[in-house]
Amino acid sequence: MKKSDIYVRGWGAVTALGWSAPESAQNLIAGKVMPARAGTASYLISPEYKAFEVPYSGNPLGKAQAMLEKALTEAISRAGLSLAEIAESSLLTGTTGGLFIRNEYEFTEAVRKNPGKESPAISCRNRGPGEVSDLIAGKYGIRGMRLTFSMACVSSSHALVVAAQLLEQKKIRRAIVVGFEPLLNLTLHGFASLLLYDYDQCRPFCATRSGMQIGEGAAAVILEQNGLPAQGKGKYKFAGGYLFNDNNSLTSAGIDGELVGDVIQQTLTSAQVLPGDIVAIKAHGTGTKDNDLSEGRGLVKLFGEKLPPVVSLKGAMGHALGAAGAIETAVWLSCLEEGLIPRSFGFVETDPEIGFTPALKNNPAPNGAYLFTYFGFGSTCTSYLIIKE
Amino acid sequence: MSSSSDEKKTILAMPVIAASYIGPALAPNLDAAWDEAQLPLNPDDLVQKIMGQPMRRAGRFIKMVCCGALACLKKVPPGYLKTKKIGIFLATGLGNVDEILPFITQVFKHEGGFPSPNQFANSVSNAAAFFLARICEIKGVILTISEEELSFESALWLAQSYLENGEIDLALVGGCDVFTPTVEEYHERMNLKPDNARLLPMGEGSSWLLLGKGNEEKIGDILAVEFGSKLVPPEEVSASENILSASEKLIAKTASSGKKRFLLPGFRMDKTDTHFWKQKGWEVDDYLPYCGIYPTAAAFGIARAMQKNTSTIFVHYNCHASGKQVFVAASTK
Repeated sequence: MKKSDIYVRGWGAVTALGWSAPESAQNLIAGKVMPARAGTASYLISPEYKAFEVPYSGNPLGKAQAMLEKALTEAISRAGLSLAEIAESSLLTGTTGGLFIRNEYEFTEAVRKNPGKESPAISCRNRGPGEVSDLIAGKYGIRGMRLTFSMACVSSSHALVVAAQLLEQKKIRRAIVVGFEPLLNLTLHGFASLLLYDYDQCRPFCATRSGMQIGEGAAAVILEQNGLPAQGKGKYKFAGGYLFNDNNSLTSAGIDGELVGDVIQQTLTSAQVLPGDIVAIKAHGTGTKDNDLSEGRGLVKLFGEKLPPVVSLKGAMGHALGAAGAIETAVWLSCLEEGLIPRSFGFVETDPEIGFTPALKNNPAPNGAYLFTYFGFGSTCTSYLIIKE
Repeated sequence: MSSSSDEKKTILAMPVIAASYIGPALAPNLDAAWDEAQLPLNPDDLVQKIMGQPMRRAGRFIKMVCCGALACLKKVPPGYLKTKKIGIFLATGLGNVDEILPFITQVFKHEGGFPSPNQFANSVSNAAAFFLARICEIKGVILTISEEELSFESALWLAQSYLENGEIDLALVGGCDVFTPTVEEYHERMNLKPDNARLLPMGEGSSWLLLGKGNEEKIGDILAVEFGSKLVPPEEVSASENILSASEKLIAKTASSGKKRFLLPGFRMDKTDTHFWKQKGWEVDDYLPYCGIYPTAAAFGIARAMQKNTSTIFVHYNCHASGKQVFVAASTK
């Protein structure tokens, strides 16, 4: 993608830090960040897997739908979309679990309501990841193309890049890109089984890091070619979007950092931006040994001594898996609206193998290019720039 | 069918270089008999036959994805692929439920039982595409797309945009879903009700097309992939007049005169009036009895029609339970 004129027209997010992107950003900037805790929702069965849970009292299925609706409504409202504009929009969704929460909730409720009886077999009744886009399209009257990417941790970041590409090709007029991932026993236990879960605290890029912690949430980012600016202070251009999928390792992007460096270089080249022009980096920074090593080394190789502030949001909000791309973009944009680049949380000690310390204080957020990176399961990589004008 | 005027229509044909289909009988490119009550069959013989070695740690979904795609790639000389940039577009409505269910069962087991990390890794939504990419030594654009019963057509549409923008030379586009018990739960996962789909046995499959963009040696062309921008009400989902009109419009844009015309009805079309279609000069290629109902059955129908009939033009019609329609027009050499 070259000479992009794709702009962000609106965004919204629900995270453990708040039920809107500005609330999440303000809490992040103010340092009002609670550590991950044992899940309080009735269907979450293992308190040892601490997570970043969105606060809510009520039925977990209702909560999942409320997260989606709140994020969408916020984004659409910020973009000022008319009903006709919503109808002609295309919907690109990134999710891995979809509405699998339904299976977990119904099963645990059946067990709870029948104490002393043998547990029934768990059923899988959800309709696959595409069910989420059907739900959204039906609720908001979106009639354009629908594409759901089910690509683990890069699902919604890939969706953003594909959306920009389709806009560039004029295949679609407007893209509503959604990320959605409620907490699941499936993923909490899954990453623990892979020995990738930190039972204590997520510590991105820290020498003492020992794994990720999952955070739930939903977000929507609206992209448009030559679009009207979002209702806010800044104008945000989406540029250099690049996705790449390697085939060397299911769980790592290669700890030498070569792949990470190549992917980011491709992004910079296609956007015609020099490394020295990057104001700050919103890194993937999961807190796992290998991911942070590969990403850290890749960043150092590419930027060297001129490495701009590096921030991982996962120490504050957790890893939202397939929703991470949309959520972290939306919250970051709201931080830029506040005029500040947020700091990283969870860091204690520099890892000599990585060789840098992520940003430990908030920094001013001037106009310029901000780099976003994501490196997921299946050697999947996404990177893009958002240029504040 | 009305379409959004702002979205660029798919006009450029995509040459189909190879096609392959595997249905629930697990017999590549054969209309073999099968029985819903016997599903799912063990795919290990199929794996041995196509891959030449077992895939011991993979589940059925991953095996089916890899076998289906390799069966397609084997139809072209290996040298042909070596210099090409290939993108993989895996469409699946339900994904690897066969790995997810045993894993989550272990998680909820009250009396211990540590869930298998391998099973979790295989249950992740893009694991199948990763293994396929690894076997085929493909890097770059490898996407897993899920849009319920419109998954395959969505992947086809996206592949076309990638071919058009020059990022890839070839697109390997496939649809795969696997049968997981029970039949009743499978119905629920697919949102099948007596009044919104045909009454047919449930099935599974892995069917693939290798698409190009130039003057390659080909077996046919995908002429158009067109999604409706309005939702049709339930009573119009199977309306022959409307489907005929949309199909005629779609193929009118292409040089297809003189070719025999076929309609391939998707499983939401609960009845097909073959007499009506015959009167209008169309045959009906009812492929569903050969593969059963599953989210990506359209891939089976289209890949099979690509191989089965020469010098034809066909339109596959599909409709989502919500009323969103999609037409795929294609021609064979």
